[in-house]
Amino acid sequence: MSKHYIRSVLSLSKAYMIRFFSDKTAMFFTFLFPLLFLFVFGSLNSGGSDISFRVALLNKSDSEFAQNFEQQATENETLDVNEDVGDLEEARDLMGRGELDSVLELPPEFGQIDESGVPSGSLVVYYSEASPQSGQTIAAVMEGVLDGINEELGHPEPPFDVEQRSTAVSGLSSFDYVFSGLLGFTILSLGIFGLANQMPAEKKTGAFRRLRAAPINSSHLIFANMVFYLSIGVLSLLMMLAAGILVFDFNMRGEWLDFSVMALLGIILMFGFGLAVGGWAKNDTQSSALSQVVALPMMFLSGVFFPRFLMPEWLQGITDWLPLTPIVDGLRLIMTEAKTVFDLGPEFAMIGIWTIVIYFVAVKVFRWE
Amino acid sequence: MKKTTKNIITVKNLTKRYGKDVVVKGTSFEVKEGEIFGILGPNGAGKTTTLEMIEALRPIDEGEVVLGGINVKDHPSKVKEIIGIQLQSTAFFDKLPLIEQLKMFNGLYGSSMDPAELLEEVQLTDKAKSYVENLSGGQKQRFSIAAALVNSPTVLFLDEPTTGLDPQARRNIWDLISSIRKKGITVVMTTHYMDEAEMLCDRIAIMDNGRIVALDTPHKLIKGLLGRGFKKAQVVEQANLEDVFIDLTGKELRE
Repeated sequence: MSKHYIRSVLSLSKAYMIRFFSDKTAMFFTFLFPLLFLFVFGSLNSGGSDISFRVALLNKSDSEFAQNFEQQATENETLDVNEDVGDLEEARDLMGRGELDSVLELPPEFGQIDESGVPSGSLVVYYSEASPQSGQTIAAVMEGVLDGINEELGHPEPPFDVEQRSTAVSGLSSFDYVFSGLLGFTILSLGIFGLANQMPAEKKTGAFRRLRAAPINSSHLIFANMVFYLSIGVLSLLMMLAAGILVFDFNMRGEWLDFSVMALLGIILMFGFGLAVGGWAKNDTQSSALSQVVALPMMFLSGVFFPRFLMPEWLQGITDWLPLTPIVDGLRLIMTEAKTVFDLGPEFAMIGIWTIVIYFVAVKVFRWE
Repeated sequence: MKKTTKNIITVKNLTKRYGKDVVVKGTSFEVKEGEIFGILGPNGAGKTTTLEMIEALRPIDEGEVVLGGINVKDHPSKVKEIIGIQLQSTAFFDKLPLIEQLKMFNGLYGSSMDPAELLEEVQLTDKAKSYVENLSGGQKQRFSIAAALVNSPTVLFLDEPTTGLDPQARRNIWDLISSIRKKGITVVMTTHYMDEAEMLCDRIAIMDNGRIVALDTPHKLIKGLLGRGFKKAQVVEQANLEDVFIDLTGKELRE
């Protein structure tokens, strides 16, 4: 790439940048709109757990005491007992997705009459490493309950106690889940809607015609837009991250470098879709229709707003192939499970394939007018 | 004016088809270095299409154009580097100040013109920070010419530069075009206004139905017609209504 080429591209990017920062509407939709989503969804998903704890109760004991304890716990208002959970494996899964705060296990010997003639045992409280504090709180509540029982039994050795165990899977808080989805949404809407609407508008006014009179080709235009969209994409994500950290206590578990790599590749891929739609469309009627067709399935099926694990298996199988899915999954795995780029081979492969395909299509269907 | 014989543009058998329609039919002509060359003709005569093929903006179906020694069909990008183009319906980016537009074009052409100087040349210094969408018709055309001068072109193409402007703004553009020619830049322009062609152009080509039907200096074309025994139905006055208008409202720009 020659010096002249780079200068051409950068001067065009700069022009886009200046225009963008003097367009309040564009800035609103690019920066504030995703933030608004963040605040709405973030507050919906962060408040709930203060009032009651969602737990699963696994009773493995057949003692009368244990049956009684289970019934009491189910009626307790502090505990929201999920009664559909069958075993510890399933419960761990749910904790991993942030659907449960904790699992209470009553071991087989819990509540059995021991040699001193009173019921005894250890209640196991499983907590998720993502939110150990809620596990501790539940353990404390349970200790309080068992202490009451201990006192009533009046035995010198307290027969009941609480044992805390980690599930060893670092689970998600609900906000963490929503947050990676919202970052995916930001990348999607910036890449597709921004460019898909802007290019046809410029074809219509004739601004592209004038650019074409200069000694440049479509690659100048494509690279210039890419530089521009990467810059505002990075800005927008930084604002989202700042809000997530400052307002919602988002805690990054992975490496920022891994996160940045995934986010940049995500922006580049989504930009390709915007480019294909905007480059192809002759006017904004075509582009807005097509961009909806392209973006809506991703928005609703790639785990942006609705977690994919809630979908039926067959639909999960299909949505695995959507281009936004590996971006949202990848971001989430890095942000919440401290995965590195080396763990995300399948995600990068999927992003890579989609990127090649969409840029090939975009360059093929591009038209100046 | 200094007469040169060197041709800066040579057009040979230029043809353009849209489906079955032949819009430009084997047109040939030469433009001399340093002259103002006018292409006249009714709407749909093929003026703009001819211009756009020379400018490397539209593919050439048949024929050949050589501009400044460069074959347009073979090296479209090289041609674009040495010409300035003002399009008929020029639009520029919105929300981008004039001075920034010129900086951008500087970058696109890899040139280093002083944007402020260019704006001064077209009397838009006080509009440096305005957006194109807020300019008047005449200001827009002047800016469009400034943008076409960014790369110090050898040839400047103007497609109907005064259409839709008031008489004051038209005269102002005429002065601008004359001053550009004085710098040695060859100007090729199209127009619907005969007075404009007569006043500005050294030579004019009259196009109709995709062909050039006459090509000469305005003076010779008129002489030729008179020679064929033409007489106007009405005796020509020494002044016309536009002269009255200008006399009453002055030459000063209204914008």
